[in-house]
Amino acid sequence: MPHITIEYTIMVPLLILQIFLFPLAAGLLMNIWVDSRRALALQDSASHLGSTVQQLYFSLNHETIGNGTRITNNPGVPPLIEDHYFTATSAIRAVSALPNSTKILALTLALTGTQNKVTLSVILGPNAQWQNSTYMSNSTHAAVSAQKFNGAILLRFGE
Amino acid sequence: MTGATIDHLVSVTVFLAAIVLFIGLFNQTVQTAIIYQQHRYLASRCSDILDTILLSPGYPINWGKTDTYPTSFGLQDPEFTQYRISPYSLMRLQSVTGTPITYPKTGLTYSNITMGFGNFLLVPYTKAINYSAATKLLGVNNTLGFQLTVTPIITVTITETHASNPLTASVKVYGLGFPLSNATISYCFLKVKASQGNTPLYSSAFGTIFADDEGEATVSFQNVASDESYVLIAYAHLQGLVGIGYHERVTSTKRYVLPLIDSFAQRRVILAHSYDVHYGGPPESAVFFNATFVLLTEDFTLREMPMENSTGKIGKVNYGNGQPYANLTIPTYNPGILIVTYKSNNEDGIVLMPWGMSTMAFPVTFGDRLTDKEWIVTSIRQILVNGIAYQAKLALWSFKGYSVVG
Repeated sequence: MPHITIEYTIMVPLLILQIFLFPLAAGLLMNIWVDSRRALALQDSASHLGSTVQQLYFSLNHETIGNGTRITNNPGVPPLIEDHYFTATSAIRAVSALPNSTKILALTLALTGTQNKVTLSVILGPNAQWQNSTYMSNSTHAAVSAQKFNGAILLRFGE
Repeated sequence: MTGATIDHLVSVTVFLAAIVLFIGLFNQTVQTAIIYQQHRYLASRCSDILDTILLSPGYPINWGKTDTYPTSFGLQDPEFTQYRISPYSLMRLQSVTGTPITYPKTGLTYSNITMGFGNFLLVPYTKAINYSAATKLLGVNNTLGFQLTVTPIITVTITETHASNPLTASVKVYGLGFPLSNATISYCFLKVKASQGNTPLYSSAFGTIFADDEGEATVSFQNVASDESYVLIAYAHLQGLVGIGYHERVTSTKRYVLPLIDSFAQRRVILAHSYDVHYGGPPESAVFFNATFVLLTEDFTLREMPMENSTGKIGKVNYGNGQPYANLTIPTYNPGILIVTYKSNNEDGIVLMPWGMSTMAFPVTFGDRLTDKEWIVTSIRQILVNGIAYQAKLALWSFKGYSVVG
């Protein structure tokens, strides 16, 4: 019976290995799936938030809108993504060294308690300014506001 | 025990195959979802970028009426809000469709929008905004590519139905698949008169007609011979929908005057002999011209605006070295149509040039070509260009293919 011994020697460890390998592979794939799903939801929120900032800017960027005008908008993004809230921060930069060039607002959204982070660029005009602030999705003051000052439009998160 | 061995081998193989298959299918599902989301993301960016272009006038806000390059790109008419686009900023976009022409006497290449013989818009590359500059000004260079198409919604077609005495023309006004029933149509009729001198003379007539239920109307003119050149411009409107159409008949297309934009800031146009651009052969023959300007007024009528002789409205141009081109100054920044009647060797004709893109319902295609792009999303807005209804469509793609970055 030597061939039976060999068979059991090879096959039994292999089967035992499968018992560990399968849950491991399944777990790994599920992690990828969950991560992707969260990243997609976060990206969706980023797009929505970016569009809101842009629309607020366009609403005020006209000479018929007087200085001091202030508008606030709740972007309507979900407060939680799979039981995690997210934060958004932003930085503004000019696209070129030319005076009065277009400005790009780089939004970064991070889902707390996870590694998920997405970025988005919002195109704004030369008179856009950004006030450092953080958007917290589960806050009761989660909003975007814009105010016109001497022709410049100051944007920030919060009421 | 051979049976048990085979059992084991088969079962282990099947098990491994099942795992590999499962991983493959799962991975494919995840990838499909990610790609779908990336497409959604690109669609969202497309909408945002189209809004950026249409809802911002750029900087300086009146860059369309200057010869300078903007430092921020946008097409909104600074005098209005919402989706109202500057007809002059549109004129300064380098067309991707027409074949550029070169005029040796200025040494410049011109962006070319030609809508059939006699309807020209030629803007020098030095004054036109090119695609590369626009992507840099928008901050999307090296990440996203786009093509912006601006096309009129209302089509006004003029067809000659009887050639002379009376000259009869049929005017049809259509929207996107439907006729504009009972539309009001204002028209301008301009005819080159027979004369003994070199300078062409013209007569003009203005009037209003009404379209029937089918969106059609007929207009006729007495004392027009079959060998006389004329242009008929029709300006149709119905409850805020406005469109424009034109029709020319010329007795000669061999030698004519070609209008080239020289300066937006100074409203200056170069009038060139066509042989200098299209390299016609001898014999040389001067082309005499007489220009006028027709305004589109706010009450939806057409009105001729008198031009002083000092504007260069009358003159002649010739072909070859030592024969300078002529300069003409458009008297206003109000949008209208420059009409140039010309005469050479007893043959005459008329050429038109829009001053403000919308006045001749010219379409614009600006940006990169759409061929060989991996994935393209589009976004559409209904806009007004100096009151004329247009549709703006932005096609956008990522240079990363499916892997879209922000």
